Amino acid sequence: MKQRITIDPITRLEGHGRIEIFLDDAGDVTSAYFQVPELRGFESFCVGRHAEEMPNITNRICGICPEAHHMAAIKAVEAAFGVECLPAAQRIRELIYMAFFVADHTTHFYCLGGPDFIVGPDAPAAERNMLGVIRKVGLDVGRQVIDARRRNHELIKRLGGRGVHLCGAVPGGWAVPVAREQQAEFRRWAGENVEFARFSLKMFDDIVLQDRTYGDLVFSDLYCHATHNMGTVDETMAPSLYGGRIRVVDTAGVQVACYDPADYLDHVAERVEPWSYMKFPYLKKFGWHGFVDGQESGVYHATPLSRLNVADRMGTPLAQAEFERMYDAFNARGKGAGGRNLPISHRLATHWARLVELLHAAERMCELLDHSDICDPAVRQTVAPRAGVGVGSVEAPRGTLTHHYETDERGVLTRVNMIVGTTNNNAAISLSIMKAARGLIRGGKVTDGILNRIEMAFRLYDPCCSCATHALGKAPLELLVRHDGSGELLDRIARS
Amino acid sequence: MVVIGLGSPFLTDDSVGPRVIRALADYNLPDVRLVEAHAGGLLLLEELAGTTRAVIVDALLDPRRSPGELVWADCGAATHNAACSHDCTLPEALAIGRAMGLSLPEDGDIRILGIVARDVATFGEALTGEVARVLPMACQCICDHLVEAV
Repeated sequence: MKQRITIDPITRLEGHGRIEIFLDDAGDVTSAYFQVPELRGFESFCVGRHAEEMPNITNRICGICPEAHHMAAIKAVEAAFGVECLPAAQRIRELIYMAFFVADHTTHFYCLGGPDFIVGPDAPAAERNMLGVIRKVGLDVGRQVIDARRRNHELIKRLGGRGVHLCGAVPGGWAVPVAREQQAEFRRWAGENVEFARFSLKMFDDIVLQDRTYGDLVFSDLYCHATHNMGTVDETMAPSLYGGRIRVVDTAGVQVACYDPADYLDHVAERVEPWSYMKFPYLKKFGWHGFVDGQESGVYHATPLSRLNVADRMGTPLAQAEFERMYDAFNARGKGAGGRNLPISHRLATHWARLVELLHAAERMCELLDHSDICDPAVRQTVAPRAGVGVGSVEAPRGTLTHHYETDERGVLTRVNMIVGTTNNNAAISLSIMKAARGLIRGGKVTDGILNRIEMAFRLYDPCCSCATHALGKAPLELLVRHDGSGELLDRIARS
Repeated sequence: MVVIGLGSPFLTDDSVGPRVIRALADYNLPDVRLVEAHAGGLLLLEELAGTTRAVIVDALLDPRRSPGELVWADCGAATHNAACSHDCTLPEALAIGRAMGLSLPEDGDIRILGIVARDVATFGEALTGEVARVLPMACQCICDHLVEAV
C-alpha cells in the first residue's frame, strides 16, 4: 500500500511550512516535498509607499532577519535614487551587519542545529534544545551564548536605534556615527566574539567531528547531494556578507556566473508550483528540469556552505585557517578545476560552514573597529528622490537576499520584488529531505528518531518561512506521512 | 517593571500589543520601561533580564471568545508570539535564563494580557473595530495592574 508522511509542526522553524513524504506499496519513499501553504502579498502591500520607508517596513517581515531586510532595502533605495552611501556610514552598516551575523549564527548553532549533535538525534524532542545543550556541556557554555547574543544585540541597539527592528538606515548614510567613547567597548566585544567563535569551532570539532556517530553523519552519503552554489564575493573572491558580486559555481566548482546583483534576472528565474506559496528560483543557464539535483539541473543552494563553496579564500586570517581545515577534511581543498576547491555537497557541513562564517564576522568586526575613520562623523547627506530602478542585495544568514524596487519621480514605489534567503533553497530543501527520507525509511517503518533525522536535512538550511512567503508572524508546521495515490494520512508528527 | 507589546505593526490586529505600548507612553508611568517587540523566545529573555515584574501584551486568537475581549493569563499560557521557532518558547527561555543565574521575575510576576483579535493575517495598519475600541480599556487594565502589583 502506498503511504504518505507529513511533518507538522517542524520543530524550531520560523513560519508555516509542511514536509510531506509519500510511500509506495512496499513502504519505501517515492517522493518528499517541503510545502508552504501560507499567504503572500507583502510586495503589493508596499506599492504606493515612499521608498525610503522600506528599510523600516521590510525589517518587520520577520523578527529574525530584520537587519538583512533593513540593509537590502536601503541599498535598493539608494540604487533607485542614484546615490552612493558615504564611506563612514557603510562601515557602520557592515559593523552592525557582522554583529547580527554573530548573534544569528550563534543562536542557530546552539538552539537549532547544534542540539541534534550535542544532545543527539535520537534524544526525545523535548530535550533537543538549548537547555539540553546546557545539560550536556555545562552552564558556562550557556552563559557564553547568552552573553554573545546580548553584547551584539546591544551594539545593534546603540548604533541602530532599536534592538530588534533597527531604524538607522537613511538614503546615502546612517543616522548616527560611532562615538569615540563607544569604539573601545565595541572593540572589546568584537574580540570576545572572536574567542567565542573559536571556542564554538573547537566544540564542534570535539563533540561532533571526533565522535564517530555524529562525525559519520556529517560525512555520510545520507545528507549528500550536489546542486550548484551561490554566494556573494568581494573582488578577491572572498565571501562578502554585506554585499559584492554574486558568484555561482557548478557542482564541480567551476564558475558559471559572477554578476552584479542588479542583473539577477538575467541569471535567475522563478518557478511557481500550485501546491506552495513559496517560489522556486532556478538558474536560467541550466533551466528547470523538476526536482532533481546534479550538473544538468538548474537547482542551486544559497547557504553558509554554498558561500564557502563559491569562495576562493576567506577575507580574515583565522577564518581562512578554518576554511582550509574544513575543505581538507572532505579532501576537497585545491582538488577542483584550476586548483579551486571542490564544492562540499555533504549538507550537514552547513553547520560547520556557519561556524566558519561566525568567526569571519567576528574578525571583520575587529577590522572595522580598528579602521582609522570608524568614528568619522560624516554619515549623512542630502538625497533627492527620483524615478528609478534599484536592486539591493546582501547575504542573509539563510541565503542571498535581493530587494528590487521601482519608483516614480516622487520616490513612490510602483513595483517591489524580493527573493529572500530561504526562497533560493526551496527546491534544494525538498531534495535534501527526499535524499534523507529515501535512505532512512524502509518498509514503511517510521520512528520519531527517523523523522528527526529527516528534519535534520531540513533544519540545516535554517529556513524562515515567514520571510520566504513574506507573511509576517509565525504559525505551526507539520510533517505528514501519506499514501502515494489515495493520499490517506498514515502518520502525523505535531510538536509545539 | 517592564511592559512589552508583542506583534507586527503591519498585520491588522496583531499590532495591538505595540499599539498599547505607544498609547501607554502618554500615561507617564513612573519606573516602567515600555518595549515594542515582534519576536519572542530568547529576545524576550533579554528584555526581561534585570526586572522584577513584567506585563506582556499580545493579540490572542481564541474562537471561544469575542474579538476585543481582554484575558489575563500567566506566563505558562504564553501566546504564540511569545515563542520564537528559531530558538525557544517563553517558559524555555526563562528556564535557560534562570539556569544561567540571570535576574528574572518569578513566573507569578510575569502576566500576559491577551487581547482577542479578529484578524492577524491581513496586511494592514488599522485595527478591526472591536479591537480598536478596547485599546483604552487595555491601557487602563495595565495601569490598574501596576497599581495593584506595587
